Amino acid sequence: MDYFLHNFPQQFLNGLETGSLYALIALGYTLVYGILEMLNFAHGDVFMVGGFLGAGVALLLIHGGVAGLPPVLIVLLMMLIAMGGAGLLGIGIERFAYRPLRNANRLAPLITAVGVSLFLESVVAWRVSPAPVAIPSDALVPARVVTVGVLSTPVMGLILVLVSIGLMVALDRFIFATQFGSAMRATAQDREAATFMGIDVDRVIVVTFLIGSALAGMAGVLFGLRFATVNFFMGYLLGIKAFTAAVIGGIGNIRGAMFGGLLLGVIESLAGGFISTTFQNTIAFLLLVVVLMVRPQGLFGQPVQDRA
Amino acid sequence: MSDRPSVLEIAGLHKRFGGLTAVDNLSLTVREGEIISLVGPNGAGKTTVFNLISGLIPASQGSVRLLGRELRGLPAHRITHAGIARTFQNIRVFPQMTVRENILIGTHHWTHSGMLGAATFWPGAVRAEREASREVATAIALFKDRLQPRLDDPAFSLSYANRRRTEIARALASRPKLLLLDEPAAGMNPYERLEIAGLIRAMRDGGLTILLIEHHMPLVMEISDRVVVMDHGQKIAEGLPREVHEDPKVVEAYLGRRALSH
Amino acid sequence: MSLPAGAPATSTGLEEHPSWLRRLWLAGPYGWNQALTKPYVLIPFFLLAATAPFITQYFVDTYSWTGGEFWVRILVTCAMYASLALALNLVVGYAGLLNLGFIAFFGIGSYAYALVASDQLNQHFPLGWALLAVVGTSIAFALIVGVPALRLRGDYLAILTLAFGLIMQELTLDLDRPPVLAGHQFGPDSLNITGGTEGIHLVDPFRLPAWFPLIHGTALQSRSYYWIALGFLALTVFVMLRWRNTRTGRAWIAIREDELAARAMGINIFKYRLLAFTGSAIIAGIVGMMNAAYLHNAFPGNYDIQQTVFVYIMVILGGLGSIPGAVIGATFVTVVPFLLQQAVFAKFVIFSLILILLMIFRPEGLLGTVSIRPRKTLGGTLELFTAEPEAAGDAGVPSLGESAAELESTTGAIVDPPAPSTP
Repeated sequence: MDYFLHNFPQQFLNGLETGSLYALIALGYTLVYGILEMLNFAHGDVFMVGGFLGAGVALLLIHGGVAGLPPVLIVLLMMLIAMGGAGLLGIGIERFAYRPLRNANRLAPLITAVGVSLFLESVVAWRVSPAPVAIPSDALVPARVVTVGVLSTPVMGLILVLVSIGLMVALDRFIFATQFGSAMRATAQDREAATFMGIDVDRVIVVTFLIGSALAGMAGVLFGLRFATVNFFMGYLLGIKAFTAAVIGGIGNIRGAMFGGLLLGVIESLAGGFISTTFQNTIAFLLLVVVLMVRPQGLFGQPVQDRA
Repeated sequence: MSDRPSVLEIAGLHKRFGGLTAVDNLSLTVREGEIISLVGPNGAGKTTVFNLISGLIPASQGSVRLLGRELRGLPAHRITHAGIARTFQNIRVFPQMTVRENILIGTHHWTHSGMLGAATFWPGAVRAEREASREVATAIALFKDRLQPRLDDPAFSLSYANRRRTEIARALASRPKLLLLDEPAAGMNPYERLEIAGLIRAMRDGGLTILLIEHHMPLVMEISDRVVVMDHGQKIAEGLPREVHEDPKVVEAYLGRRALSH
Repeated sequence: MSLPAGAPATSTGLEEHPSWLRRLWLAGPYGWNQALTKPYVLIPFFLLAATAPFITQYFVDTYSWTGGEFWVRILVTCAMYASLALALNLVVGYAGLLNLGFIAFFGIGSYAYALVASDQLNQHFPLGWALLAVVGTSIAFALIVGVPALRLRGDYLAILTLAFGLIMQELTLDLDRPPVLAGHQFGPDSLNITGGTEGIHLVDPFRLPAWFPLIHGTALQSRSYYWIALGFLALTVFVMLRWRNTRTGRAWIAIREDELAARAMGINIFKYRLLAFTGSAIIAGIVGMMNAAYLHNAFPGNYDIQQTVFVYIMVILGGLGSIPGAVIGATFVTVVPFLLQQAVFAKFVIFSLILILLMIFRPEGLLGTVSIRPRKTLGGTLELFTAEPEAAGDAGVPSLGESAAELESTTGAIVDPPAPSTP
């Protein structure tokens, strides 16, 4: 018991870290599902591409001879380019792979998405690197560890959480307090009715993909900086976990995705710390199965209507 | 008429969709060998009644008994097995399947031919398949020459009328006791309507009880033993065709209150 | 060969007696499938295929082609993938279920066989019992996954099956030592079930009983495995055709074409979907068993998601719902990379691109009979009708077909069927 109490706070904090990543990625899933009712299987790989874009920028600027750039600037550039690049990638995927199938059977775009996912992974593995790529985080972010009482975390961990929360708050405000945000919410509720209200649904869909993918791209950079490495397969695993988070929170529900992400991160961390690290992934997947079986609408989703 | 046993007994049938009451406390008895028409303006809830009877949607309240057996709460496939077959308003044949295969689907619930049996040429399964094939001929008997030449054509290539016939043949192949026809004469020209009328009578003479939804009034008047009128989910009139035709409530439902003053 | 009399007339209308080739062309995918699955096409095909090893050997001997073994290996792989493609076609094309964890059943089959026919657990079942064990295991897992999964809607079923596949892979990788949960060790130190990342080695080759024609005794040559795999493929094709032409197959196609009408005609949707799911698992499991015996190994790589995607590509390319299509697709996807000798990832790039392009431009592939294209509006009155959950045990998972339109909801409900719209 002592062991538990002693380590709980730290594990909790670690969980918040990974949870923030999950939340950022989960938002992309939930946003797209809310509007198109489609599970964007390739979303995790957009996160991966974002990570690689960030890594590319970092390696280019550090080793490429543009001497003396302040690390802060490099990191900012990494983030910008990753977010922008990922966003464009997301838009491109929607435009070329999903849009032609928008009115087709539900399962068709899913099959395409699986194809896109494999495509992204293999392109990166083939043309960039099949082996993990190291990122010189030390040169970019202070390597210090911050300790407060029993809790300690590397500076990057703090940055990760803060940036994520910042973005989530910004997104929340955008969705719930701007006109375009309400257009997005309207489209999510009833696409046809939205067109009657003069909403440009295509535009809304494009922006949705843009935002979701940009967030995933940012998550990629944060991941790369925090763990000092990226690899072509990381999107797959994190993608599934982020999807689990979205389902836990209630797929289609934005605040649910944020909460679900943090919750999953914490649960996973605690499970890893107190049950078993080997079976950490298994536990996360089992959680997905359990949620789908017991409460598929998640924590904040609409229950299945039984209007008797 | 009332000495014949009842085939279908609906009591207090009620269906709510959220705030909307689609079927409001409907009670109806259909006796053996009757042809009953369910009529009413659009949106009256007629198709919903069919869906409730055939189990495709669950009722909020009430009971539906077929030959004394309670059907409410049973899944659709068991209701079909109990002896109810139906057709749909906008014809739902299986487009990629041939006419023959469509009709064979009708035999599904009473043939005993499973996966293992089929794969191993088990005699029981082989016999069942043959029996089902023979049923096809029986099912299209009423259509004489219309469907015979088209038996091996895919359903999507058929004319509207032939698709309607296929759907009916498919329903007949399930050997029902009660047949629900949802607007069987929709989209038909006068000759085809005549044929449908004859068809319905022939089916009744063959031992079926028929409940149909229909908009074409002359047809309703001609073939129905009784007519039930619905409006806004409620039964507003029931009786012989002539009686119902003159009932002021019915006129009002269809044409509005002004029409009464004519 | 009977062709639909309703086949579209030729453009000129002048062809009074079109050649049989032209009639075949006009018959469309439905007709092509019928033609390609006639006995007089299938039997020669399989007979010819059986002689393939001799043909390749001839070329190796006469024209000094590289390595005879290499070619037989392609043939074996091809035959096995063809059976897998048929199994996937069964679950996706017939039952309309997007099983993304499909390859897990292949893995389960290979490990199940490895466990009963190797030193791992010191069991060496004879072939018959091993087959029984594999089939039994496949059925068990199919039910464990299928029964709960079939209550979910299409896309959620996809994710659940995917999660299942991932869990199986994780467990396989981690059970080479006793699990340690919360500090407690479960099992003795020497517990090693799955061999972890190494897999299980020295798996017994097939030992066919003496009465078996031609290839009795211990199967040691690649060739023997090819004939075994080919034989199994023939059996699978035969069984699937039998199903297709009897009540079971008709029910599957009806469900796929119009689930609502199928329910109304007395078909138990849940039962038939489960049957297809289980049948698919059994076929995949047996292929896994053959694979383990052939390679004398069971690998955790057997569970890789890429494998699932590959089989999907085979089925989509060949055409969903088509038996010959699955075989053709499998052949193409197996043989072409072998011939082109691409780097692994290049192969993935090309094939995933093919999948994407297929889905956009020709989702029905070569011979597909399942319509997954964007719906054209059917015209006429819109069905003001929805279906709601029935008594327990009856799932209303949308199938691949036009009726999916009517069953879709706008509220994002996850458990089937969706909430009704106002009538």
